[in-house]
Amino acid sequence: MFEDESTPTHSHEDRSRRAILSAGIGMAIVDMQGRWVEVNPAFERMFGHQAAELIGRATAELAHPEDLDAVRSAFESVLKGETPVLDAQHRYLHRTGAIVWAQANVAMMHDDAGNPNYLIVHLRDISGERESEQALQALNQTLQHRVAEGAAALEAMSHQQEAFAYGISHDLRAPLRAIDSFAALLDRQASASLDEAGRDYLARIRAAATRMGELIDSLLDLSRANRTEMKSEPVDLSLLAEWTGAELQDAEPDRAAEIDVAPGLVAAGDERQLKQMLTQLLDNAWKFSRDRDRVRIEVRGERDGDRLHVSIRDHGTGFDMRYADKLFEPFHRLHRVEEGAGNGIGLAIVQRIVERHGGRIRAESEPGQGSTFYLDLPAATIVDPESKPDETPA
Amino acid sequence: MMHKEILLVEDNPDDVELTRIAFTQAKIANKLVVARDGAEALDYLFARGAHADRDPTHLPSIVLLDLNLPKVDGREVLQAIRGNELTRSVPVVVLTTSIEPFDVEASYALGVNSYIQKPVDFEHFVWAVQQVGLYWLVLNHPREGDD
Repeated sequence: MFEDESTPTHSHEDRSRRAILSAGIGMAIVDMQGRWVEVNPAFERMFGHQAAELIGRATAELAHPEDLDAVRSAFESVLKGETPVLDAQHRYLHRTGAIVWAQANVAMMHDDAGNPNYLIVHLRDISGERESEQALQALNQTLQHRVAEGAAALEAMSHQQEAFAYGISHDLRAPLRAIDSFAALLDRQASASLDEAGRDYLARIRAAATRMGELIDSLLDLSRANRTEMKSEPVDLSLLAEWTGAELQDAEPDRAAEIDVAPGLVAAGDERQLKQMLTQLLDNAWKFSRDRDRVRIEVRGERDGDRLHVSIRDHGTGFDMRYADKLFEPFHRLHRVEEGAGNGIGLAIVQRIVERHGGRIRAESEPGQGSTFYLDLPAATIVDPESKPDETPA
Repeated sequence: MMHKEILLVEDNPDDVELTRIAFTQAKIANKLVVARDGAEALDYLFARGAHADRDPTHLPSIVLLDLNLPKVDGREVLQAIRGNELTRSVPVVVLTTSIEPFDVEASYALGVNSYIQKPVDFEHFVWAVQQVGLYWLVLNHPREGDD
C-alpha cells in the first residue's frame, strides 16, 4: 500500500484540476444538473466569458440557438448514462455573438463508490477547420460547376461540329453540282460557238468543281474520323493491306506493281478506321511512285509486347525531311498537284485515326529514294492456346 | 403504266432543272411533277389544298425525295407516305446530297426503297438519275392494281 492512498480523492481531484487549468484546449467540469462548475482559461478565451460569469449556469446556454436542442439532449443523454462518452460537433456562441464551432468530448466521472459524480468536458475550437472545410466544399462545388459547364460547352461544340459537317455535306455540294453540270451542258450545247479559250475555261471550271467536291469529301472524312464511335477488336492489318493493294491495282490494272505484305500483323482497333488509314497510306505510296517503272510497296511489322510496330515503305519520290513536321497538318502539302499531291487532308486523317487508337505515326524519307511511314498501334490480345479450359496439358 | 407521273420533291431549282435534263437525256417520257417542299408534296399525294381536285387514287409511279426540305422535311414526307393505306406501296427513292450514316439509317428505318447520293459531277448525276428511272419505271413490276 502506498502512502498516497490515504487521501486518494483529494489528491486525485487536485491533479485533475491542475491538468484542467493548464490544458491548451477548452476544458470544464459540469455537475449532475448540467451546470458549469469549473472552466479553464482556454475555455474562457474560446467563448469570451470569465469563469465567474459561467459557473452555475446551464451548459446549453452557451449553445447557438439553432443547435440548442441538440446540445441540450447530448449533455442529457450523458448525464442519464445513456451515452457513456459523447463526441459531437455543434455550434456555440462567443460573447460577441460570433459562431464558435466546437468538437465536444464529454465523459462521465464516478466517485469512489462508483456513483456518477460530474462530467468532464473537452471543447476544441474547430471553427477554422469548419471554415476550410466549407471553403473546400465551396471550391469543389465551383469546380464541379465549371467542369459541368466545360463538358456542356464541349458537347455543344461537338453538336456544332456535326451540324457544320452536315451543312458542308449538303449545302456546299449542291451549288457545286450546279456549277459542274451547267458548265458541262454549256460545253455540250455551245461548244461550236466557243473558241479554244472558251472551251478551256469551261474545262477549268469543271476541274475546279471536281477538286472542290473531293475537298469537301475529305473534310467530311476528317470530321468523321474525329467523331465516329470506335470499336476495339482484333484487326488483321496484313489482310487489309493486301485488300487495299488489290483495290489500287484494280483501279490501274496496267500499272506494274509489287505490293509485299508481311502476314499476321494483327492490331486492336476499329476495322473501318484502320482500313481507311491503310487506304490513305498505300494510296499515297502508289501516287508518289508514278514516275517509277513499277510501284514497289513493302508492309512489314512486328509485335513488341502489347504494341504492334508496322512500317509502310515505298520507293517513290519521297519528301524533304526538313518539312517532316508539316506532313500531318491538314491542308499542308509537300508536293505540287502535278507531282500527285492531293488536298493535304489524307495524312491528317491518318494521324487522327492513329491517335484515336492510342498510337503514333512518323515518317522518314530521302528525296528520290522513297518514304517509310512507321506506325505504333495497340496489338491484339493473343489468345494463349494452352489456357483453353477444354485442353488437357500434354 | 409507263406514263404515270414522277413526283420530284426538291427545293433547289438547279437540281430540279438537272433532274429534268437527266430524264430527257435518258428518254424517260413520264411527266415530272415538282413539289418544292414537303408540305406541297403531301398536298399532291393526298389530293388536298392546291391539289384538292386531283384523283387521290392516281398515284405517281415513283417519288424522288430530297431530305432537307423547307416546312415538312423529307423524313416526315416519307413517314406520311408509309403511314397512309393509299400511298404506302408507292416506291420512294431518297435522292439527296447527304450520306451521313444517320440520314441513311433513318430513311431505311422509315421504309425507303433506295437511297442515292446525288453526285457532284454532272455525268455521274445523269447516270444515277437514269439508273433510277430505268429500274423503277421500266424494270420493276409494280403491285397488281396499283395502276
